[in-house]
Amino acid sequence: MASIQIFDPALCCSTGVCGVEVDQQLVGFSADVDWAKQNGANLERFNLAQQPMAFADNAVVKAFLERSGADALPLVLVDGEVALAGRYPNRDELARWAAIAETTEKPVSACCSGSSCC
Amino acid sequence: MSALRFLDQAPRFLFFTGKGGVGKTSVACATAIQLADAGRQVLLVSTDPASNVGQVFGITIGNQITAIPAVPRLAALEIDPQAAAQAYRDRIVGPVRGLLPEAVVKGIEEQLSGACTTEIAAFDEFTALLTDPALTSGYDHIVFDTAPTGHTIRLLQLPGAWTGFLEEGKGDASCLGPLAGLEKQRDQYKAAVACLADAARTRLILVARAQHSALREVARTHEELAAIGFQNQYLLINALLPASAIGNDSLALAIHTREQAALQGIPEVLRALPRDEVLLKAFNLVGLEALRQLLVDAPASVPMAVAPVMAFTQPSLSGLVAEIALGGHGLIMLMGKGGVGKTTIAAAVAVNLAQRGLPVHLTTSDPAAHLGETLDGALAHLTVSRIDPHAETERYRQQILATKGAKLDAQGRAMLEEDLRSPCTEEIAVFQAFSRIIRAAGKQFVVMDTAPTGHTLLLLDATGAYHREVARQMDGSVPFSTPMMQLQDPQQTKVLIVTLAETTPVLEAANLQNDLRRAGIEPWAWVINNSIAATTVASPLLRQRAMNEVREIDAVAHQHAHRYAVVPLLSEEPVGVDRLLALAGRH
Repeated sequence: MASIQIFDPALCCSTGVCGVEVDQQLVGFSADVDWAKQNGANLERFNLAQQPMAFADNAVVKAFLERSGADALPLVLVDGEVALAGRYPNRDELARWAAIAETTEKPVSACCSGSSCC
Repeated sequence: MSALRFLDQAPRFLFFTGKGGVGKTSVACATAIQLADAGRQVLLVSTDPASNVGQVFGITIGNQITAIPAVPRLAALEIDPQAAAQAYRDRIVGPVRGLLPEAVVKGIEEQLSGACTTEIAAFDEFTALLTDPALTSGYDHIVFDTAPTGHTIRLLQLPGAWTGFLEEGKGDASCLGPLAGLEKQRDQYKAAVACLADAARTRLILVARAQHSALREVARTHEELAAIGFQNQYLLINALLPASAIGNDSLALAIHTREQAALQGIPEVLRALPRDEVLLKAFNLVGLEALRQLLVDAPASVPMAVAPVMAFTQPSLSGLVAEIALGGHGLIMLMGKGGVGKTTIAAAVAVNLAQRGLPVHLTTSDPAAHLGETLDGALAHLTVSRIDPHAETERYRQQILATKGAKLDAQGRAMLEEDLRSPCTEEIAVFQAFSRIIRAAGKQFVVMDTAPTGHTLLLLDATGAYHREVARQMDGSVPFSTPMMQLQDPQQTKVLIVTLAETTPVLEAANLQNDLRRAGIEPWAWVINNSIAATTVASPLLRQRAMNEVREIDAVAHQHAHRYAVVPLLSEEPVGVDRLLALAGRH
């Protein structure tokens, strides 16, 4: 199974409520991560403020930080290769990388699943 | 020998809690000495950033258990929460220094520089003392001069907080994020929290001065900690002015009357608590003999030199205002810990500027709303508005829970709700509300009784969210490039730090100043409020207190402030234009 790794920016709170305005996308993404894990995805998240060594140890991530800086996070690697940068993936993308059949998806709300439609 | 209720059948763990400057450390020291004198083995633990426990006993203590030679059966330990937080940061950041770009490393450090990190790091140090028998089995009592906040304890109680972190070593952050780098296991933290909630083992003593606002705040602390199981609580009113010290001095009489009125009107939830009252002492609480007498109500046997009224030639607040007035307009922010009188000083500055014919808008977060109401419409050039911090915070919380909380499960929602109870949340919510007023201000003076901390500004600035937020609110019609630059430019923004002429408040104010400096903001001036030294009080007891203030005023004048002013303690509440003008003194 594909290994999905998500490298988050330095967040004191994953929700951002302690420091900055709340990023609705981040909230939706947290829910999507739970969903993907429940469906068997091999997915890991790393927070720059808490596991910086994970960033330094990975040559791809380290080079990305040197070139683009922490502002360009998040970064998503699938099997070690850059799959996405600068935004969080939506549920469809996670499903595709993790090869989760769409039929197992349980929609959380009628309208949006992690994107900015509402 | 002592009739103090909080000492009656004292359990193993005693925690003193209260605002900086109420005398927690002195009372904790005196308690430890009394217990040791009574034949108990006692360990005294100080986390006071201004810890003078070593100085009190004339030895160096530091971060290891040290026997106090002068007091048999007493040992002490000083925990420095800042150093604990720094050690934690080093553990996380140290390994990647030089590996990741410098800017990235700086960003990580800022994330770990908040109050939450310091708190949790200090709690980590407590945990062993509460749960490791090998460390403390030799002691009958362990006396702490501080207690963890409700926010910290609740975080540790939430099951959701732990699922990602200590069990798997990864997952969602939250305010508990700092715990990722802590070394102990979940069951140890759980045992520590259980110990705090166990009335047979732990007693909490709320320490306060007899002031309306201070007692209201203590009532909130009491309810918050009781709600999470910390039931065994006592109340200690410290430094009451005894009736015997009034003589025929009108200021002493006014202070005594005010304190008694505050006790009469004590919040209902505090009435049920066992209560002790400790009288103000003339002597400095340094040295064994002084501390032994602190908890004794007999007239002081320490000889009291009658200090003469000094010629007091300290700069007045109106002198600072005259300099501020030269700018013609700008943002004036008053900053300081709760209870130092920021709202009063903000009002005094605003009234003084308006009196000079300058257009002024005063905006306060004064919970009583009293002061603002008496000023609105009182002067031609003065407008007043008020922000209710609780209402603003609640609105912000509800907005976030309704949007982002909607999709979360019960555990996730509980975590989010707790994150939203952090001190940072209130600061953000209130500052956002103030930003709206700043935008509306235009070319006048805007005086605010609050300011964001450097940590908050850096976090907001680092992510750019603050820029976006304020740029949107300011409508692009302002001549500077970023709001952060406006705050950093003394021509546009002046930060005044308000403090009291006492050791801990001055130290706390210095910490606030350092925090602002990290964000590139240099406080413009300091204001020392409620100074007895600036009065002509005749009561010997108060004159002695006045003498003690001089050292702190000197420290502010020579070590901390570029410019400063001293505002006297008044016999009447400084409400209304005339009294506020009088408070600022003559220029």
